[in-house]
Formats: sequence, C-alpha cells, structure tokens
Amino acid sequence: MSSSSRFIGAVEIGTSKVSVLIGEIIEGRRVNLIGYGECQSHGVVKGVVTDFKAASDATHSASLAAEQSAGVKIEEVFLAQTGKHLDGFYNQASVSVGAANNMVSQSDIDTVCRLAKAKALPDGRMVVHHIRRPFQLDGKLVGANPEHLNGERLEVGYWTVHGQEPMIANSIHVVRGFNVRVSDLILSSLASGTMLTTLQDRQNGALVIDIGAGTTDYVLYRDGAPYLTGAIPVGGSHLTNDLALGLRVTEGQAEKLKLRHGRGTVVAHDRNDKVWLNGDFAIGDRQFTRNAIETITSARVREVFEVVQKKLGTALNAENCAAGVVLTGGTSKLPGIADTAARVFGIPSHLGEMPPGVDEKLKEPSHATVLGLLHFGSQNRPQVAPRANRGRSILRKLFTVGA
Amino acid sequence: MNRIDPSTPTARSWRDIPQQIAPQAMSKVGRRRVTYRTVRNIAVVVGVLALAAGGFEIWRTLKNDPQRLVATTASEPLKEITVESNGVLGETWVSDQLALAENVGLMDLDLYSLRTRLTASGQVRAAVLTREFPDTLKVVLDERSPVVRVKARLSGPDVRDFLVARDGTVFSGSGFSTQTLSSLPWLGGIRLVRNRDGFLPLDDLNVVADLLLTARGHAPDLFATWRVISLERMDQDGEIVVQSSVVPKIIFGTREGFFSQIARLDLILAETRSHARAPLKSINLAVGASQVPVALMQPVPNAANSTTPTVRFPFN
Repeated sequence: MSSSSRFIGAVEIGTSKVSVLIGEIIEGRRVNLIGYGECQSHGVVKGVVTDFKAASDATHSASLAAEQSAGVKIEEVFLAQTGKHLDGFYNQASVSVGAANNMVSQSDIDTVCRLAKAKALPDGRMVVHHIRRPFQLDGKLVGANPEHLNGERLEVGYWTVHGQEPMIANSIHVVRGFNVRVSDLILSSLASGTMLTTLQDRQNGALVIDIGAGTTDYVLYRDGAPYLTGAIPVGGSHLTNDLALGLRVTEGQAEKLKLRHGRGTVVAHDRNDKVWLNGDFAIGDRQFTRNAIETITSARVREVFEVVQKKLGTALNAENCAAGVVLTGGTSKLPGIADTAARVFGIPSHLGEMPPGVDEKLKEPSHATVLGLLHFGSQNRPQVAPRANRGRSILRKLFTVGA
Repeated sequence: MNRIDPSTPTARSWRDIPQQIAPQAMSKVGRRRVTYRTVRNIAVVVGVLALAAGGFEIWRTLKNDPQRLVATTASEPLKEITVESNGVLGETWVSDQLALAENVGLMDLDLYSLRTRLTASGQVRAAVLTREFPDTLKVVLDERSPVVRVKARLSGPDVRDFLVARDGTVFSGSGFSTQTLSSLPWLGGIRLVRNRDGFLPLDDLNVVADLLLTARGHAPDLFATWRVISLERMDQDGEIVVQSSVVPKIIFGTREGFFSQIARLDLILAETRSHARAPLKSINLAVGASQVPVALMQPVPNAANSTTPTVRFPFN
C-alpha cells in the first residue's frame, strides 16, 4: 500500500440493488479494484430515494461489505445519478476571436465556454453535468483545444444535465450518512458508456443504453464526446410487472418467469410450447405458453427502445452511430434483446463487453456503472495536490470531524 | 477582446448542496464512524498537547534550573567493592588501582574512567563494572595469564622483571606466587619497544605459548629444566631456541607440531642419558622428523671425524 494511494468508492444506488466498488488509485492514475459490496436495495423507486432510512441502511450495508472485503476505509465517493428527474438541454455560444491576428487565445476559450454554460435553470433545478461538445472554428470541428488556431468565430455547445435539487440532495445525504464525502456525481449512462465503448467507438458514434431495474439510461456519443444523455423511468421491473398483470401471477413468480423464459424477441410460435411456473408440480403450479411470456417481455423491451428513439429524435441515425447500439444493465441479459434494439433503431446492436483486465466476477453488465464510476474517479482526480495546500490538507484530514 | 457580461446567468450546481449532515440522519454505521473519527481526533489533539506541554516543561527547566535535569537523586556512599576474577587479582589490588575517595557516592562513580584504570595495568584484559544498589560496586575481571618472564628497564636505571601473556602483552604482574613466577622460563632474543606507559605487545608469543603449554602438559619434568626461550631465530628461520639446564641449546621448528618434537626430544634425552659418552651440547629438532642433529660437548675418543652424530628415527 503506497503512501501516494487513495481509496475511492464508486456507489450506485439502484432500484434493485446497491453496488459499491472500492478502488485504490495509485499515483493519481492507476486503479486497483480491491473491494466490492452489494446489497438488495430498499427505499429506492425508479432510481430515486423515497425512503431515506431504508435507502441509507442498504447503501451503508453495501459500503461496509465493500470496506470489509477491501480492508480499507473509503475516503471519498463517486456517486451514480439516475432517475426521471434528470433532464438535459443543449446551449451553444459563439465569440469572435479577439486577437488581431485571429489566433484563438485561452481567454476566448474561457469566454465562449462560460457563455455556453450560462443559462439559468428553473427554481429547484441544479446542474449535474456540463458536457462539452467539440469546439467549432468558423463552422468546422476543431476538437478539444482550439488554442493558437486561426479563425474568426469560435463556437462551442454544452449538453447540460440538470436534476431536481431535493432528489440529488437525498442521494448525496444517503452517502454522507456513512460519513464519507461525495467527490463527484456522474450520470449512470456516462459511467457505463465510458466503460463499454472505446475512444474509436465514441469517435465513430455510439449509443449506450443501460437498462436497469427501474430506469433506462442512455448516452449518445458523437465526435468522441457525449452528445445527448437521458433517463426514462422504465426498466426491468416493468417487464416483471407486465408479466404479473398479463399472466395473473405474483411479482415474485413473474420475476422468476422473466429470468427463466423472458426474451427480447418472440421465437416461440408454437401455442403448445408451455413452461411450468414452478416446475415442482405442487398445488398452485401452473403452465404458461412460452409465446405469451416472450410476447409480453419483448413488447415492453420494444417499447423501451421506441421511447429512447423518440427521445433521441433526429440526433440518432445510422451515419453518425457507426459503432452501433451497446446494451448493458441487468435487463440486457434478456436473450434476443440486441435483435430488438437493432430492429427498432435500424442500426447494429450488441451487448456491451467489459475491457480486458476486469475481474471475471465484475464482467456482468450490471457492474458497468460502478466500474465506470471508478474509471471517472481515476481520470478526473488531480494527480498531485498543489504544494502550498499539501500541509493544510494533511491537517484538514487529521482534524476534520465528519468529513 | 471578449468580455463576459456580469449579468450572465449562472446555474446552481449540485456542488452547492451542503454535505453536512446531522448525526440523527446518519445510520448506526455512519454514527459509529463519526464517533471513531472524533475519538481519534481527540486522541491526536491530546497527544499533541501532551507533547507540547512536555516540551515546554523541559524548555522551562533548562532555562531556569538546568541542574534539575542532570542531577540525579543523592545516592548512597560506596561501601563495598566486590571482585570476581578468573585470575589472581583481588579486592585489595582493585581498591589500590581505583583509588576511590572515601564516601564517594555510588552514582558519582565514572565507570568508564575506572575501567580504564583497571585495564591500564596490562594484567587485566577486560573489566566490567556494575553499580549494585544501594552501595556496592561490582567488578568482574578477565585476567591475562603469564607465559614467560622478561627482564627490562622501564623507568629509572633498575632492571625489573615483567611478565608476558600469550597475546604478547608485557605487564608487571601482581598477585602471582613466587613459585608460579619461578616456574616461568625467561624470554630472550627480543626487542622491547616502549610506548607511553609500558611496552608494545610482542609478536609470535602465541607460538611460544603453544610450545610451553605442550611441554608443560606432556613433559612436565622436561619443562622444569627449561630456563630461557629465545626468539632470536624466529623471524629468520622460524625457530625457537630453548636453553635448558640439561641441554644448552634445543632448537624447535615452528613448521611442525610441537608435540612430536617434544616426543623426539624426550627420546633423545632418554637415549643419551643411558648411552652418552659426553654431555649434550645441542639438539636441533627443527630439521625434520626423520633425523635430528645432536651435538655433544667433547669429541668422543675413537670416533672418526664427526662431533655431531645424527640420530635416525626409523619409526615415525
């Protein structure tokens, strides 16, 4: 354990489970996964905390399990954000290049960025992310840093993700209840997207859809950067609910049927192809046609994709999404779901795969978000604290109560 | 130059949400963590304050009354010196050497300088001095044993007797009985070099000690006749010349073990005692195992030419 390492926690408070992953950030860059804790979620509906105590208990249990497996204490947390309350808008700004020789200066860049971010939000709304799209100089894309390039007009746009203040505060306070500071909030879709796409994919254009239990998060990448993000309050639990209503079974039984026989596409056309509810031939055990189950689950899956497609509108087309649709999240394990996505979006779709080097136990699609959070944590931290503040930060660490 | 209008609206960020949380809103685990951290911080603060207070107290004492830091509590005066030694020195000698003032306190003794006084004599190889509270000084001595005697002039015109230990140390020698001293042969053929208080240690004394030890152990009667051990030929020929009351010159070689040389000497002496026609003048045991040149005092009548017959050893 090196003295220059820090222990950060990635926390995802989901509708069905709370996942906490602990990573050791060595020398500000390298991440070692050292602990994992998972707990069934309570008090969370569609990604939003509705029962503070229940959600806290679940989150803290998972955090404690992760700390015990890692043998260290979490020092700071990167928290995933999802839920229907999150929304986004695009705002663009442009400035004339100030210098007489038309060379873009840092001041021009700062000005255009501030202007593009300067948009008031309605009361009660707070910014979660300002996602910058590539700069344009005289209408042409110039990438991440236009400084010293020649041109007359510099433009930039930001996709601003904002959410309801109480809901954001609730999730932060759940983590704070464990006496750990939240360092950053990161959209679930961005976290998953970072993990499941390569730089090349993002450059070519890719749509990442993370179908969780209560929400479906998506992010559309274009020109190497996130272009659009969103979350809809529909997920795997709705499939369960549909099955419960359609087949007149309990939610538990419906969940079992979904996991065993649910599909994203209908392949069983034979009405005599039936499956047992429990398979134990006990009183109450019933038979259902496989076709019925598949029809219900595939219809809901199709509907989810159609809602996403509608939200994306014209931003999504085959030309600017060459890397295709990448599916992840617990519900993406449904067989045939990629075929449905390909059919709905009209572009190739596949299940997301973790990059090499990730532990086998964490290769499940449902872990993409926490892994992505850790990735963000390692990338976005300053490598070394400024010299002037170093002594002060040691003192602060020693004496901060409740930090 | 582009300037930003100060009235440009700025949106609130999630970072504006205060992260403080009341302990009541925390879970049991969270509260325990807060308690642990608080206790730890208090412990750190208390520790730092204690260190600071201690440091301040030391600084204040040094400034106002530095004696308090160096002065020990008054100790009992020294009443007894106990001596343990592997040699002949006793309490009297130790007391004389230490020459302690009367009623000196046990804690006032400078053990390092006292030890130097004891080892300065040369007879003491090592001395361990221990305070045994309340009033006893314990002295444990490791003494050198003399191997040979030597006559030398140290200071003044008188020639005095000195003793030489196995490691070559030359010392005056105290406490040895006259019998012990008279049993030691004299050492000759050496050059004593003075240093500040005595003489520099002699070389090759360990070889002489081996020879004497072997002789004393295996042929004590023979050893009793040895008077002088000369190292005159040691450097050049590696030979030790012994002058005994029986044979004026017995030459031992250092390349061969002394036991076999003494065995040959014993045999030669026994043979010559029964068959000798004249007293022995010299026996050279350094030549080798197969032959020993032996010289007699007077020419033997009817002998051809030689006065140095050679004793041959078919056995060996």
